[in-house]
Amino acid sequence: MLQGVIAWLRRVWTSLLPGRVERDIERELSFHLAERADDLRAAGLSEGEAKRRARARFGNPAFQAERTRDVHVVHWLDTFMRDLRYAVRSLIRRPGFTLTVVLTLALAIGANAAVFSVLDAVILRPLPFPAADRLVSVSEVNERTTSTGVPPARLEDWRRLNTTLEAIDGYYVEDLSETSGDLPERVRRAVVTPGFLDVWGIRPVRGRGFTEAEYRFGGPRAVIISERYWQRRFGGAPDILERTVRIGTASIPIVGVMPADFRFPDREVDLWMPIPVDAPYAQDRQSPWYTVVGRLKPGVTVARAREDLAAVQAQLGEQYPETDRDIGIEVVPLKETAVGAVGQSLWLLFGAVTVLLLIACTNIAALLLSRGAHRREELAVRQSLGASRTAVAAQLLTETGVLALAGGVLGIAIAAAASGALRAAGANLPRFDEVTVGGRALLYTLASVVAVTLLCGLLPAVRAAGGLAALRGGAARAQVSTRSPLQWLLVGAQVALSVTLLAGAGLLVRSFHELSRVDPGFDPKDVLTFRVSGSWGETANYAAVMQRIDATIDALASLPGVEAAATSGWEVPGVPTQWHTTYELLEASTNSRPIIAEGRAVSAEYFRTMRIPVLAGELCRRAPPPSGSEPPVYEIMVNRAFVNRYLADRPSPIGLHLREMEGPIPASRIVGVVGDARERGLDREPGPTVYWCMSAPSPMPYFVVRARGDLGAVAQSVRMLMKDIEPLRSVYEVAPLEERIGDAFKENRLRMLLLAVFATAALSLACVGLYGTLSYAISVRRREVGLRLALGAPRHGIVGHFLARVAWVVGPACALGIALSLASSRLLSGMLYGVSPSGPATLLGVVGLVLAVATLAVLVPATRAALLEPTQVLRDQ
Amino acid sequence: MAPQKNDVLHGTLAMLVLKTLAVNGPMHGYAITNHIQRASADLLRVEEGSLYPALHRMEQLGWLRSEWGMTEKNREARFYSITRLGRKQLALEEENWARLTEGVARVLGYA
Repeated sequence: MLQGVIAWLRRVWTSLLPGRVERDIERELSFHLAERADDLRAAGLSEGEAKRRARARFGNPAFQAERTRDVHVVHWLDTFMRDLRYAVRSLIRRPGFTLTVVLTLALAIGANAAVFSVLDAVILRPLPFPAADRLVSVSEVNERTTSTGVPPARLEDWRRLNTTLEAIDGYYVEDLSETSGDLPERVRRAVVTPGFLDVWGIRPVRGRGFTEAEYRFGGPRAVIISERYWQRRFGGAPDILERTVRIGTASIPIVGVMPADFRFPDREVDLWMPIPVDAPYAQDRQSPWYTVVGRLKPGVTVARAREDLAAVQAQLGEQYPETDRDIGIEVVPLKETAVGAVGQSLWLLFGAVTVLLLIACTNIAALLLSRGAHRREELAVRQSLGASRTAVAAQLLTETGVLALAGGVLGIAIAAAASGALRAAGANLPRFDEVTVGGRALLYTLASVVAVTLLCGLLPAVRAAGGLAALRGGAARAQVSTRSPLQWLLVGAQVALSVTLLAGAGLLVRSFHELSRVDPGFDPKDVLTFRVSGSWGETANYAAVMQRIDATIDALASLPGVEAAATSGWEVPGVPTQWHTTYELLEASTNSRPIIAEGRAVSAEYFRTMRIPVLAGELCRRAPPPSGSEPPVYEIMVNRAFVNRYLADRPSPIGLHLREMEGPIPASRIVGVVGDARERGLDREPGPTVYWCMSAPSPMPYFVVRARGDLGAVAQSVRMLMKDIEPLRSVYEVAPLEERIGDAFKENRLRMLLLAVFATAALSLACVGLYGTLSYAISVRRREVGLRLALGAPRHGIVGHFLARVAWVVGPACALGIALSLASSRLLSGMLYGVSPSGPATLLGVVGLVLAVATLAVLVPATRAALLEPTQVLRDQ
Repeated sequence: MAPQKNDVLHGTLAMLVLKTLAVNGPMHGYAITNHIQRASADLLRVEEGSLYPALHRMEQLGWLRSEWGMTEKNREARFYSITRLGRKQLALEEENWARLTEGVARVLGYA
């Protein structure tokens, strides 16, 4: 048995490299012939005669040599190798054709591989943690607010009481100043709970995780740093575990280093520190501190975990009716939350690039069909010498296969080169930094190569192996009418698909344009945004925080060149976020509807800085710092949308009082109405908004500064000012507001650009196809054209005739393309702004473009036909 | 071990080659050809070339072994020799042949 396998393997080897065996057989057979010739000469024959007779007695040496050789090879493999060598030789003989096809395929397959590798990295590949499919994101569903964060005490209860999670961790992220160097440096810190390393399953590369003592109030302090921070701040020093990090006035010993590719919760995190879970301030059941991640026990489903946690929460709701009642639980696989909406865009691009590949394939199939016509005689001769139709078809298919493989190899190279560019272009998009051309992309490319071979080559191969009929002269004429419709069909398909892609791209382009024209309701030009580091610990003395922030605002406003300065609270205006809350109107009648509006915390100077007009009432004033334990008193502004939605039945909104249903702030007075502004994102209608005039909702709000002149210079003077008044704090995230708003639409722009590129490529391919097909059709009918011209047909009539011929194909193709576009309009629906997928303007525009370009493409061959000299043509025939 | 379609193997050529080698020891293809012709008193004349596919096939099947050597005239030639498996096959084929000829003779005897 084993011997049989070994023998087979040896035969495979000989099929691949038959040289040695062939030479041995040659030697053996020539020996026989030489011996026979010698003997015959010894018997008296002349040398020439002896040789002839020897050969006659032997039989046909070549034939016998081949039969002998057949014993040593695996038949189909041998045939394949022969076809392969022949294919390569004949392709090298036609460099123009070969190069065109290989390049086209390389671009199409390369684009496919590139998009696939992005898809693979972002959507298909699991997150880079052990058993990452068991990681889930856990959040609260609180009907009264949209906050999903979990208060610390509740998290600890969940940890104790749940039965489906192996580990659970909560974290929040803040930016602080590290002060051990000459200048304070901003570091990002993630505060984590017990369970930190258990959830992620990653061990530190140096040192250890946190001990139980370090999670206790009053216990030893400890910090784990990231490998990046280790390199950046400490230069990779080997004694890292004896160093410390200085936050505020405390020096904290470093106990561990996390590996460089550990990038949770956030790419920029430098430090992790434990929260003392038994600290008095960590017994809160209301403030949504944490984002929570859990690891499921093996075999537990997401649904099961959700049920379990919901049951636990219900139990807690009974125990703490004021704070824990009616809170739902959402458990979602972590990958879904990490990837977000980018997934949709990626699938769209993947579809587009696949369509592009299909178009390229039809182009090449048409090219191969017309090539097949030229080779009819060669193939017919082969068949008459004994090759079966299958053998001939197989040989042609091998040729296509070689082209496809060459295209595939080149395509992978292109994709690898492009992946660097893609990583850069999608810099902040989720998981984009993991994009590489990996094993799966190679497999996918291999599959594409096979698919391409079959798509492009099967039909032409079968067609060309048509039979001996071609040997009869003049058959070429008869064959035209059967072949042309097929080629026109292929070209029509290409045009239709191009129209679909162009329609999609056109819609995205128009959508992007609409977005840029929208009136944001505020003026984003000439505004610098930045943050100044602070820590949550400062909230112990809230009055001090308020004083500091207000003083900073005043100092900023007095800088030369600065027109106005303010804080804008939790986020920067114009960058898409979401935060709405339920409010209660104190003066409301009993059965009035619940008031749900977006809440923003901004300083009093905000409206002037952002140039949002005050429509009624007056601007709010800065809240005085509170005395004693009394909470500060704030004033409120509301926008027009709020008034229209909730207060339309009242004579004036001024003087009414609003209170957050779930918040700690007591009822506050409305003092004025401002215009609607699209602070939640330019693509969203401004909703009802309540502005709390508080300059410091957190110790590190965003600052917005309106200034004249170069914003870079302004940034410099801001840094110098902060160095003066707050030397221990760092200034970071400095950027012009327009740039931040632009960044938020990076994904949008990338998607639009890529789709436009693919659509343009598709249209170009379709035009090349049109040009080629018409040229070929005309070349075959030269005689007819010559006759017509000789019989007096006007030249423009010839042009018109061919144009009409083309129109018969392009017209229905455009219609089909439009139909396809409408059918797939749902794919785009979430990505458009201000345009409808079935809007006639875009579709008509696209059709117009395609018709124009198609006409140009066919005008050249048609005009050439019309310029033929009839006498020349007729004589040639 | 199934015989192939276009082979003379299924006929008697294999048996003749095996017998030749069993009796005379290692020989090259030319010598085998001459021996069969001489030993059969020229009654059997094989198309000489068709010997070689058969020889190679038999070697594949393990009935023969081959190695390159030098003839007396200092030419390089491939020498074949019979293996133990080959001897077994020879015995089998001789038995089959005997049965065949006896059977045919009997039928012809009745005619």
